[in-house]
Amino acid sequence: MLPAKHLLTEVIDSLRNVIGPAVKDPYSKSQAYMAAVILEFVSRQIEDRSDLESIEQLALTELFDDLSRFPDLAEIVERDGPDLRSRLCHTIEALHRARGQISPQSFDRANLRVRLALRQLLDGELKVANGRRG
Amino acid sequence: MEDTQAMKEAVLDYLRVKMPAARDLKLIDFNQATGGWSHQIYVFSASWYENGRQTTRAMCLRKDPGAGLLRELSSLEQQYRVLQALEATILPTPRVYWYEENSTLLGGPFFVMEKIEGEVPNPWSEAGKKAYANAAARGRLPRSFVETLAALHNLDWRAAKLEFLGVPGQGNDFALREIAKWESLIEQAHHRPEPVLTELLMWLKGNAPPVQRLALVHGAYRTGNLIIRDDAIAAVVDWELQVIGDPMYDVAYVLSDLNREGSPLLSCVVERDFFLEYYQGLTGLTVDLEVCRYYEILYMMRSAAFWISASSLFAEGKNKDLRLARTTYSVPVVLDMAARALGF
Repeated sequence: MLPAKHLLTEVIDSLRNVIGPAVKDPYSKSQAYMAAVILEFVSRQIEDRSDLESIEQLALTELFDDLSRFPDLAEIVERDGPDLRSRLCHTIEALHRARGQISPQSFDRANLRVRLALRQLLDGELKVANGRRG
Repeated sequence: MEDTQAMKEAVLDYLRVKMPAARDLKLIDFNQATGGWSHQIYVFSASWYENGRQTTRAMCLRKDPGAGLLRELSSLEQQYRVLQALEATILPTPRVYWYEENSTLLGGPFFVMEKIEGEVPNPWSEAGKKAYANAAARGRLPRSFVETLAALHNLDWRAAKLEFLGVPGQGNDFALREIAKWESLIEQAHHRPEPVLTELLMWLKGNAPPVQRLALVHGAYRTGNLIIRDDAIAAVVDWELQVIGDPMYDVAYVLSDLNREGSPLLSCVVERDFFLEYYQGLTGLTVDLEVCRYYEILYMMRSAAFWISASSLFAEGKNKDLRLARTTYSVPVVLDMAARALGF
């Protein structure tokens, strides 16, 4: 079996240099080239998948560990949930809703910590979306 | 892709019913326009004899494909009603002829309108950017761009009977309604949780600005959605996202870097200082750059919602256009822009 990355590279090359040029209909031709573009993204996604998953897992686990140590966030941080991303979304919503009830300093500290984790998630996804190598 | 010939025959049958006095009705140069994401667009000329005289009229047909973008936010009937209401105003818009809700005729609701003669250079292409830059140097188009936007915002929308679009309450109700609208699109997409988007939405809700005065807002006023003839705006088109709301919402769209991709000119056509001064003079409004910055961030959320909705349509097998699949990789890019705007 060929490695997935190699196989995708060959399919992309075929779409760009063989299939795309041979297609007459303008819509279908543009779809062939678009397929090549998407497969390039998929190729990067496959290559970076395990890396991205572990970055995300680590970033969110550390985030929830840190938030659990914030004294006045006990009622705000979601302790359980179907997955870490959902837990984070619910925690962000709860944090903003509690803004008038907790001190501004507590909100700012927690929000800053959340945003730090969000930046880590984004940087991981941008490696695929922008084609940047770590 | 639909069979263009079959579509042509179906449109011809429809027009024969709508124009019973027309004799020897023919459709000439019937083509599907490329580029539309939310609707299918067909352009053609109709030619017929009536009372012994030959008449030829350029027409444009806009059709709901059933699984296009923004289905939940923009109905063809509403677009038709808006264009109909604007016919009596000074705003340059195409005249509408017929709206048809019966999906059995062409496979979806549609309306037929006047095809305005003119050019719509693609502002995302190098050739388009050059065409706008050349027009900007000649001077007339930038003025027309601002004057048309001012005419839109000075329009008496109550007199034009546009209340059916929904009228926001006082204070920051407009922004909150707009956020809710796009949030509902995100929810309908059944996308995986996006914590960055959640943070963005919560920030937007907590910082919604009050409105100076309500106006008819286009929602996507930029080159590419304007037909140009003789270096002037011949028509404002793509009425899909219009609302009664804050005119700064349109101003922010003009000011946004999202709509000029490297061009030093706003919307590739107008200098920033000239735009701000001329617009404020024509409308009597004060451009609050902080408010515009807020709406620019709202537009980033809107783009993320748009891309999430688009990629979900593809992922759910409702639309096979590969351009929609590609948009999933645009989500982190636009969320990154928003995050940077918020300082992280």
